[in-house]
Amino acid sequence: MNLLLRNRLRSAQLIAVAVVAVTAWFLPYGLDGYGIHVVNIAIVFALLAVGLGLAMGVAGQINLAQVAFFGVGSYALAIFTTSSGLGFWVSAVLAMLATALAGLFVGIPALRVQSHYLGIVTLGLALAFTNWVTNAEVAGGASGLNGIPVPPLFGIDLSDEYLYYYLELIVFGLAIAFAVFLVRTALGRRLRAMRDDSLAAGAVGAPVPLLRMTAFLTASVYGGAAGVLYAGLIRYIAPETFSVANMFLLLAMVIIGGRQSILGCVIGAVALSLVREALVDFSVYAQLGYGSVVVLMVVFAPTGLAGLPRRIHGVIRRRRSGDRAVLKPFRPYPPAESAGQGPPLEIAGISKNFRGVKALKGVSLSVAPGEIRGIVGPNGSGKTTLFNVISGIYTASAGTATFGTEVLTGRRPYQLSQLGLARTFQNLRLFGQMTVEENLLVALDRSAMRSLWRYVLWPVGIWRFERRLRHDAAELLERFGLEDYQAAAPKSLPYGIQRRVELARAMASGPKLLLLDEPAAGLNGQEVGQLKEIVRSIRDSGVTVVLIEHNMGLVMSLCDRITVLASGGVIAEGTPAEVAVRPEVIEAYLGDSFSTAEVVRAVETETMS
Amino acid sequence: MQVFLQTLVGGLSFGAVYALVAMGFSIVYRTMGLVNFAHGQVVMVGAYAASTFYMSSRLPFILAIIVAMLVTGAIALVMERVLRPLENKDFDLMLIGTIGFGVVLESLATIIWGATGHAVPTPVAAEPLDVFGVRIRTYSLVVLGIAAVATVLLLLFLQRTKRGAAMQAVAMDHEAATAVGIHVGRSNAIAFAVGAGLAALAGGLVGPLLYVSPTLGGTLGIKGFAAAILGGFGNITGAIVGGLAIGLLDSFAAGQFQGYSDLVVFLVFTAIVMVKPTGLFGERTVSRA
Amino acid sequence: MKVSATGVGDLVVEDLSVRYGGVQAVSSVGFSVGAGKCVGIIGANGAGKTSTLKALMGLVPRSVGALRLGEHDLTKVKPQDIVRHGIGYVPEGRHVFDGLTVEKNLLLGAYLRSWKGKTQETLREVYEMFPVLGEMQHRLAGALSGGQQQMLAIGRALMSEPKLVLLDEPSMGLSPKLVEEILATLQRLSAAGLGLLLVEQNAKLTFEATESCLVMENGRIAMTGSSADLSHDPLVRQIYLGL
Repeated sequence: MNLLLRNRLRSAQLIAVAVVAVTAWFLPYGLDGYGIHVVNIAIVFALLAVGLGLAMGVAGQINLAQVAFFGVGSYALAIFTTSSGLGFWVSAVLAMLATALAGLFVGIPALRVQSHYLGIVTLGLALAFTNWVTNAEVAGGASGLNGIPVPPLFGIDLSDEYLYYYLELIVFGLAIAFAVFLVRTALGRRLRAMRDDSLAAGAVGAPVPLLRMTAFLTASVYGGAAGVLYAGLIRYIAPETFSVANMFLLLAMVIIGGRQSILGCVIGAVALSLVREALVDFSVYAQLGYGSVVVLMVVFAPTGLAGLPRRIHGVIRRRRSGDRAVLKPFRPYPPAESAGQGPPLEIAGISKNFRGVKALKGVSLSVAPGEIRGIVGPNGSGKTTLFNVISGIYTASAGTATFGTEVLTGRRPYQLSQLGLARTFQNLRLFGQMTVEENLLVALDRSAMRSLWRYVLWPVGIWRFERRLRHDAAELLERFGLEDYQAAAPKSLPYGIQRRVELARAMASGPKLLLLDEPAAGLNGQEVGQLKEIVRSIRDSGVTVVLIEHNMGLVMSLCDRITVLASGGVIAEGTPAEVAVRPEVIEAYLGDSFSTAEVVRAVETETMS
Repeated sequence: MQVFLQTLVGGLSFGAVYALVAMGFSIVYRTMGLVNFAHGQVVMVGAYAASTFYMSSRLPFILAIIVAMLVTGAIALVMERVLRPLENKDFDLMLIGTIGFGVVLESLATIIWGATGHAVPTPVAAEPLDVFGVRIRTYSLVVLGIAAVATVLLLLFLQRTKRGAAMQAVAMDHEAATAVGIHVGRSNAIAFAVGAGLAALAGGLVGPLLYVSPTLGGTLGIKGFAAAILGGFGNITGAIVGGLAIGLLDSFAAGQFQGYSDLVVFLVFTAIVMVKPTGLFGERTVSRA
Repeated sequence: MKVSATGVGDLVVEDLSVRYGGVQAVSSVGFSVGAGKCVGIIGANGAGKTSTLKALMGLVPRSVGALRLGEHDLTKVKPQDIVRHGIGYVPEGRHVFDGLTVEKNLLLGAYLRSWKGKTQETLREVYEMFPVLGEMQHRLAGALSGGQQQMLAIGRALMSEPKLVLLDEPSMGLSPKLVEEILATLQRLSAAGLGLLLVEQNAKLTFEATESCLVMENGRIAMTGSSADLSHDPLVRQIYLGL
């Protein structure tokens, strides 16, 4: 039923694409000379908007320098062709390279700052660019550059705007196809994961710094292509085309159309280009109009026009609830022969200070391979801080953590993930705007960033890889009993199922060491039982497990050894039975309303049963 | 040496204006955690309103600025009310929303006052003072004086009044603030209005120094923002130091690099953000993402 | 636990639920706290304790059948006006206003009252109760130690002269010795006739400080009873000791 629906949807999509392509091909026949000019400009803006959408909507990087990328492309082409006297296409390639470099340069601040700061820095750099071209002699100053040659193409006269349209159409078609391909495959998924939760993305192995640079690089390449096409079309460029006002117009296109959807960006760009042209005599009112629409959009329809169908659909679906999805039982991993032979985790003297507050004071502990270690202690005793240090989210103020021969401290989360460390979070950090399956796919994707060349040169390889990932995801979903939730949005699921999705995601990266931060919080008795079974099976498959937990029932019956933290230090360590009777543990954590004798008796019965 | 001092004095008076813009950014950031990208445009509207009241309605200069502050304060209340549903939820969307407001303000200003802009005569007619061979415009001193008074008043408001303390409390913890009885929405609205008032003050003061046009907001806004970051965002004293520093950088860059001064200022600013995102007096965490 | 005849000044909660997105954090909880009584809520992380307190304060979206303090109906009262009706709140993790001085923090606790006259008297009382706060009155709250911040958070709640104080994990992150101090404080407040609703992980503290307790599990009240009885109950022992 679901499959049938999806097939039907897919064929509907194919038909729609075909109709659009045919319409686009025959469009010039219905347009006069002015009309085709307007369309040619609209395509340039659509290309820019797609680039901006990829950076902002898909990768979550606030990029207010897109118009500068556009400018770098145009100006570089103009300078190479007019001043250096190079041919158009050689200059075009050089201009694209120049833009890519500009993209990497603008992307550098994203490694340090995000959100508002990134917005202002990129905007500042865009202003710096306009300032440069308005003043530089080589860029023609305020009057700009003219005399850009017509691109030669096998004798086709591209000074004819009708013919230029087809050049643009082909480039645009390829650019759209590439963008859609990118978004729907591994790299796009990593970018979206980073947008939804950069911390969790790093923890499942997505190289966040490189992804940020990739986002800016992609945006700049689209900007450069738009710049080259624009320069070849108009053959005259001046600074005001690349002004901040146009940056905001571009932003409005992307926001109104829907920044997370390639189609939305195109629709927004085309629509606003046409509106701008229609209101060319009232440009101020047009500006007032789109400014107001942007404000209304962010408040009432943050996903833009492209997001509306889904929002409406969501409302309808919520009305008729009655889905019969069920959580199926977990299918245990086959026990590994090698269980218990992996490397040990050694934590030596780790301290962590926050502005003078000592959250961890020289914590040392070692976990044997194949062990399930419980870490308990009162809230605020430093348990989660310890996990954050081990998993690279915090840097330790002192001390080291090693896993076999590998030093864990001082590495970034994604590097630790590649070394075989996985973790879950106390407050569930699932990628909210991705499906359950995509959440797993991000973690299943172990490819290194250097294999990205395939996106440009060998897309078939990406497709094959993609099919393998999907196959693995299906198996993982089945193992964790989550098949019915494959296409669900995580936030729509009951808490217990979200927890299980997070656990499946952690296992998707194929870890050797698994850190679980309060995996039982919010679970009911039955779910805690299932969790126990899952964690045991994970251990038996050869994974070392360290878990923070408050549910003492779970800790006592699941863990091989327990470490007790209090006020940032280790106060006890041993088997559950040993630890539970230690007076300092009872004092700090359990409370002495339980008499020691009671505990001993109970622990004995537990261990015997 | 003389040139140096001349540049220094010129830089300080622009620096005072940047400091006012930066304080406006900071007070909004400090209370709402939001960077108002329309702040520059509010400065521009303030500049227009003040100069219009001063030139057309023939109000005394100071009174014209005060009326302009009321106008921008009212605009800010509208902005805050519209964006309130996003408060404490999605900062990136709020950022885009404020950019949208900036576009709206700029186009409204163009509709009302035209695209060409106008020059504003200096309100103090006195001859420039000659101090050891350095000619100081009397108006520069007026700007510095008013900016200093405004800063002191703002600090007094934040440190000595109940409302000021409450506004800071909201920024530090809006839930705990609510629990002690502070109306968070109202407090944010007041912060926004105070920020906009400072913007109008900056705009009114900068009018006679620059040419007032609809695009005035862009550069002033971003340089004020740079000043705020430089001083450590949300830190009022930092905003003053940052403002003066950017003013000086600006004025020396203009002397040294002529037309490229903006380029230099923004590159230096980018470098500073990269090296020390928390600014010179930064105490707060930077990335809310 | 639901008492049909409620006295003057009792907090009465009926059918309280909290949902975040798809997650039901609190489902249809009902209980009451008698005037001047001390009631505890214990349960695991994620059981809905904090959400319950926040819902009472109106800090999270909630649905509630009835919410009264004495004869005042609080169901429609705006979050910032709850304190007017005599409920003080000590949030989890203390959440003092860290960039303001100790004194400003305390005064903000009396935000709705004039800071002159009677408030100054209350301020003196708080300093008497926590002498360390008096010594540090001009320091920034962020510079205090965890235990001092906890006292500040309690002191701030007391500044509004509440009839009932909601405390969310006052023992969090504190050493056993400081936990003892917090316990002593709570007992003093209780002795002064103040009603307390105490959310805790630390069962020992809770049982010693309170007369009766609710045990929460998965957003519901799993059981209620006198603190003395509960401390020997098998279910409680299962949650805290896993026995």
